[in-house]
Amino acid sequence: MRALGLATVFCFGAILFYISFDFPGWGDENSPASQHVSPYYIEHTMDDTSVPNIVTAILADYRGYDTLFETAVIFSAGLACFFLLRIPERQAPPARFYRHLATGITFRIEKGGRLPEDTDEFERIDSVWVPYDVIIGMTCRLVVPFIQLFALYVIAHGHHSPGGGFQGGVIFGAAIILFAISNNLRRTLKRMSEKTSALLGSLGVLIYAGTGILCMVLGAGFLNYSALASLLGVDPVSARSHGILIVEIGVGIAVTAVMVWIYYNLSSAGRQDEGL
Amino acid sequence: MTLVAAIFIVLGLFFFTGGSIGILRFPDFFSRLHPAGKLDSMGLLMTLAGMALYTARDLSLPAILTALKILLIVVFVFITSPTATHAILDAGVRAGLGPWTAPKKKGTR
Repeated sequence: MRALGLATVFCFGAILFYISFDFPGWGDENSPASQHVSPYYIEHTMDDTSVPNIVTAILADYRGYDTLFETAVIFSAGLACFFLLRIPERQAPPARFYRHLATGITFRIEKGGRLPEDTDEFERIDSVWVPYDVIIGMTCRLVVPFIQLFALYVIAHGHHSPGGGFQGGVIFGAAIILFAISNNLRRTLKRMSEKTSALLGSLGVLIYAGTGILCMVLGAGFLNYSALASLLGVDPVSARSHGILIVEIGVGIAVTAVMVWIYYNLSSAGRQDEGL
Repeated sequence: MTLVAAIFIVLGLFFFTGGSIGILRFPDFFSRLHPAGKLDSMGLLMTLAGMALYTARDLSLPAILTALKILLIVVFVFITSPTATHAILDAGVRAGLGPWTAPKKKGTR
């Protein structure tokens, strides 16, 4: 049986190898792919959209439908994680532990007792609690703003250099996840709750689709940004450039929120009461 | 200038090689972190310094600005890389991993 499987694998591998000799050479200008659309994009992108980065123009303008549904796929990935992992009923533990920061004494508070939740003098201790680490906390506090700034730069600079909504959104999400790792899940949830991340995720997709529908309302095709010219007060060519930026911002918001949302569910196995 | 840059990059690659060999050859978690943390930082400093020198070889303003950006990467890696090593090591200690000791030779007790 095993020999049969190996023989099959080798057979199909050999066939694949054989077929790969028929492929056109790397960068061959006579190959079908370089004959029709590619020269058009290379020659006309600057005149059509005034975006120097052809990749961004293709991704968000010429093939805007594709990217719209990629964003929808990312959002549904977040939804899938939510539906698979999230445990809605929160079973309160029988007792909670709180450490008094000034003295280092830990209190055990039974169910029903008054919890010192909103004070700065107590710190809740759970199964993943680690003593506050000065080095890691300080470094993350130092680095997180720079990562966020860089993420915004990547989103905004997608017209001119490699970058765009997906990359910038992932970097921004990574900054929030870094904050969650260096502190803990509860403190992160206080700053950006699960509801916020879900709403932001759908808001991002809504911005993208809404831009498309706005173009339709203004009398052009879906996602034809040149219709936005009258609204933005610029000529149709730069309107396409601005439309790409709007859409990229939507993608960035969606990706950021979904990354954080998935992290919340994965790191605490869906309970979201304790965790990193 | 180009020669100095090349020497820097080759030195950096030397450190990277040492780090890789160390990660492969050292016996346990903690001693492996030693080359992983230190030699990577040093190798990165050397290679990126070489690249910065190579970029700034014609001493024009944009080239020097690019070189400064490369050096900024070094600054960030020098902040984050030791922290990451520290965090990994801390996790190892908390997980109860003991330090490696030399195995006893056969015949001796």
